[in-house]
Amino acid sequence: MKKLIEPFAIINRQTFMIMVAAQVVITLLLWQSFSDGLIPKPGKVASAFVTLLGTKLFIENMLVSLLLTLKAMLYSILITLLFAWLSVLPFFKSVALFIVKCRYLTLTGLIFIFTLLTKDGSELKLSLLVFGIVPFFVTSFLSIIVNINPQEYELCKTLGYNNWQTLYEIIIIGKADQVFEILRQNFAISWLMITMVEGLSMSEGGIGTLLIKYNKYNDLTNVLALQLSIFIIGLCFDYLLGSLRHWLFPYSHLKTATK
Amino acid sequence: MTVYNREEVLLQATNVQLTFDQHPILRDINFCIRNITRPGLLQGQVVTLIGRSGIGKTQLFKVLSGLQAPTAGQITIHNNKSVKAGDMGVIFQNYYLFEWRTVYQSLMLAAKKNKQLWGMEKQTIERYAEQFQLTEHLHVYPQQLSGGQRQRVSILQQLLKGSDFILLDEPFSGLDVCMIDKAVELLLQVSLSDELKTLIIVSHDIEHSVAISDTVFILGTEPGKEGATIKKEIDLIERDLAWRKDIRREKRFVETIEEIKACL
Ligand SMILES: Nc1ncnc2c1ncn2[C@@H]1O[C@H](COP(=O)(O)OP(=O)(O)OP(=O)(O)O)[C@@H](O)[C@H]1O
Ligand SMILES: [Mg+2]
Repeated sequence: MKKLIEPFAIINRQTFMIMVAAQVVITLLLWQSFSDGLIPKPGKVASAFVTLLGTKLFIENMLVSLLLTLKAMLYSILITLLFAWLSVLPFFKSVALFIVKCRYLTLTGLIFIFTLLTKDGSELKLSLLVFGIVPFFVTSFLSIIVNINPQEYELCKTLGYNNWQTLYEIIIIGKADQVFEILRQNFAISWLMITMVEGLSMSEGGIGTLLIKYNKYNDLTNVLALQLSIFIIGLCFDYLLGSLRHWLFPYSHLKTATK
Repeated sequence: MTVYNREEVLLQATNVQLTFDQHPILRDINFCIRNITRPGLLQGQVVTLIGRSGIGKTQLFKVLSGLQAPTAGQITIHNNKSVKAGDMGVIFQNYYLFEWRTVYQSLMLAAKKNKQLWGMEKQTIERYAEQFQLTEHLHVYPQQLSGGQRQRVSILQQLLKGSDFILLDEPFSGLDVCMIDKAVELLLQVSLSDELKTLIIVSHDIEHSVAISDTVFILGTEPGKEGATIKKEIDLIERDLAWRKDIRREKRFVETIEEIKACL
């Protein structure tokens, strides 16, 4: 028992699972006892969640959102890779650094400009998402490049590589597994932005529009059920991208195992 | 007395200086390594660089290999060509390998750089791997190797590259007695593989490195002057201590080791 609050203490898997289960139960009990008329009780949310999963409305909207997120992530990672790889050329370094600072631009103020630049709602949503995601991706990738062990460059030099070969070996090949880690870590950001962006163009649907509708009618039970499904899908993706990385790049598994 | 000749200059260091933030680390480094020939043998050169911890051995090592430009002076190899990174095989203190490449892939990267191996990279790697006891480990990642295996991969990688100069920083550190003997055997084998092969060993392990060397350079500081320089050069061939298998038991060898230690 004492181990649970001891720094760096190692507890076995079973103890950990029991502990997590206890924590979940306590949270649910607290929720159950403190929620009054306004905040729906856990049981109610759970049953709403189950019904929601079965509805066509939910599945359709979820698919719309997922598709949009995946598309945006795909475009974003391509743009990111391009700029991050090129960031080792002085000419593109400044551009990459500027993109990093773009994290501080809020999207809300730029919606109008993007509306002018894009043809329709779906294009608007996609470009806003990409614009929102790319700075975070680039930030992650640049920090990986900055933290490269100088010995990697030295080994390249001793092998007689020129700068282009070094770029290829260390940054493109050597950090390919990190791309998945970036996707995984920043999936949360894309997922966060999708609900916001979808509010802008309601005609195509998506979980963002669904959320707004439920909120408008004060249907808090369904809002929470929807939140729960958003949360679970997020977790699934996190897991999926993690496994994909280990499968494609077996050595990334070794690195984390020894650390 | 063994018959030998010191012939053309293979490597020349002229007035090398290295300064970090106004602090001289190395100063007035001058030495040359000549091709040693012996009738009937492909005799390479083995030079040991000795000095106390923090004196600047690793820095000199980087300057020699062209990884670090000296503040002044220069290193030339093969007829006055300035050394550049990639000219030498360099094996670092901690045997860094690309973590994302399997042993085989890492070796292949190096073999592809060696024009003499064109078309037979695969066979050469397999043959060497056998010799280095790495055959079973060719398809694992560096993280899955032991320290000694990692070292052998590192050495093999730089060997496959085929440069005449091989620099080794602390090749015996972290090895057990048995492995040290194997590493010594390996280095001797390399030094006898080609007339022009030149090994430069930086080591704390004076006995083991001196036993396989023909020349010893001692790096140290002189009173009143900041920065390390070559304080002493010992020609082991002249003392008849080079190229002898059980030299380490002989009294003259022990005396030389004492002499070197006194110099540090
Ligand atoms: N980048 C650097 N900037 C400033 N000083 C440095 C730098 N790198 C090394 N030094 C200094 O240079 C000196 C020589 O370092 P070096 O690593 O060559 O020592 P060494 O002889 O190889 O020691 P050891 O046997 O412990 O490996 C040290 O005093 C160190 O503090
Ligand atoms: Mg050192």
